[in-house]
Amino acid sequence: MVSLARRNLFHDKLRFVITIAGVAFAVTLVFVQVGLFLGLLDNASITIENIGADLWVTSRNTPNVDFAHTFPESYVQRVRSVPGVARADNLIVWFMQLSLPTGAQEGTLVYALEDFKAWNLPWNVSEGRLEDLPRGDFFFLDDSATRRYGPFAVGEYREISERRLKIIGRTDAARSFTTTPIAFMDTSLAQELSYQALRGKTTYVLVKLAPGADVAAVRAEITRRLPYNDVFTKAEWAARSRAYWVASTGIGLNMVLTVFLGVLVGVVVVALTLYTSTMEHLKEFGTVKAIGGSNADIYRILAEQSVIAAVIGFGVGAVFALAAGPAMEKAGLKLIVTPDFGAVVLVGTVLLCLAASMVSFRKVAALDPALVFRG
Amino acid sequence: MTVLTSQNVVKRFTEGKQTVEVLKGVSLDARRGEIVSLEGPSGSGKTTLLSILGCILTPTEGRVVIDGREVDLARPQDLPAIRRKSIGFVFQQFNLFPALSAVENVEYSLNVRGVKGKAARREAERVLDAVGLSDRKSFLPRDLSGGQKQRVAIARALAGAPPLLLADEPTANLDSHAGQQVLEMFRDLARRENRALVIVTHDPKVRSIADRVEIIRDGLLAA
Repeated sequence: MVSLARRNLFHDKLRFVITIAGVAFAVTLVFVQVGLFLGLLDNASITIENIGADLWVTSRNTPNVDFAHTFPESYVQRVRSVPGVARADNLIVWFMQLSLPTGAQEGTLVYALEDFKAWNLPWNVSEGRLEDLPRGDFFFLDDSATRRYGPFAVGEYREISERRLKIIGRTDAARSFTTTPIAFMDTSLAQELSYQALRGKTTYVLVKLAPGADVAAVRAEITRRLPYNDVFTKAEWAARSRAYWVASTGIGLNMVLTVFLGVLVGVVVVALTLYTSTMEHLKEFGTVKAIGGSNADIYRILAEQSVIAAVIGFGVGAVFALAAGPAMEKAGLKLIVTPDFGAVVLVGTVLLCLAASMVSFRKVAALDPALVFRG
Repeated sequence: MTVLTSQNVVKRFTEGKQTVEVLKGVSLDARRGEIVSLEGPSGSGKTTLLSILGCILTPTEGRVVIDGREVDLARPQDLPAIRRKSIGFVFQQFNLFPALSAVENVEYSLNVRGVKGKAARREAERVLDAVGLSDRKSFLPRDLSGGQKQRVAIARALAGAPPLLLADEPTANLDSHAGQQVLEMFRDLARRENRALVIVTHDPKVRSIADRVEIIRDGLLAA
């Protein structure tokens, strides 16, 4: 069957390229904006997602995993005695000052545990042995610290809270939303470094449930025993940490606005190029009507053109967005694009292009086929 | 066999408070194999009459029957179906689709008529052969001469075997040689394919192929 839609679309190459460029621009923008947003949010909860805890006990109203408040470390005993709890340990998350060889001071976010391996923290060790951490003034540093602190090597020394510590390990992929580099050390060392704030204190209790335990019941019992603390599941705690940054920084609104504007530009470009093409081909549409074509035949032509533009534009835009990924990584940004999201963007692109074609359809639907008789 | 019957066709157009009566009671018939030339000065109502006979416009009053089917004034939405089945058009400006080749132009009109796939391609090639353009079937309209374009347009009108062909000034944009070729083709095809052909024209050469000449003036056929 002859596709008048396809042939007309490809016949005017310049207009076709402009249409594709408009769609590709919008698609690229959506992928990059949302991908960066998801990457940033991923950093907000990546430690929570990877730590092997089913429940988190926090101090009341802790807004996110980075901004912890302390409570007595002895509370862990109350949690350990709750039926259904297989294991519970204190986790300290605390900001400390790190001194660089240049003398400059930088912040570091310290994660302190007694037994890191039991909690899958850190989940990606590239150098060193975690079991060596309690044996001295030692710490692990995440590779992402290179961007903020400059290069470092295992075996070097840095000062944290004015105490000289040795870097005995290196990790990868541990991030915080604030981009503050993460360091891992033994609990007692962390409590010594921030003696006034952390002596006898913790910021979280991590809970692993026994097989078959009733999550709701365990949670309720912990809440009863610790009425001045909050208890979250892993998923809830991760969502809360992410939501804090979306609400308090405006990045959510920024993303929505940018995506909206990008989509608007794309839709306007498609609507405009389709409309100008339709106006130029008005006599052809009149001829289609004169030879017996219905409004449905006309809309099929316009719809086919907009779907072709949507699919090709999406492909080009997606390629650009994926190509931007490595460049973003080099800049320390994470771009997360999932297949599900890709499918949503594709469907959205097609629907918006079809909607854009309605502008042209309204013009052609009202077309008087008698215009084919005019010279 | 009578393919076209129109009786006392009246057409009025209303623009704001003004009403203009373009056709004042026209009756025109055409039979299979017959060529009717419709002549008249500009503004006489030729194109309006052609539009009504071609089921592009509905008459204000009167009766039109195409291929045994009465045109229902109350249902203009049925007109495309009548055009698809029973009417082929040849336009003054050819009105070919510039992005489609000659054979694709013909094939597309068959697709609109519900003929698809290989059957459409076969019929398109057949009618192109009938108008002597087999060797130009892959050419785009921009690569065809005026006469060749009009022959493609004739092939498009013939495809699908509509019993009634309506031509609006088919030789107006052609030189005299090409125009004469097109007229001879019209005559041969109308006879061979047994179609009724109504030609609206200013060209006196059309009389040489017409079985009947009707003159329209001020919305009425001259007696």
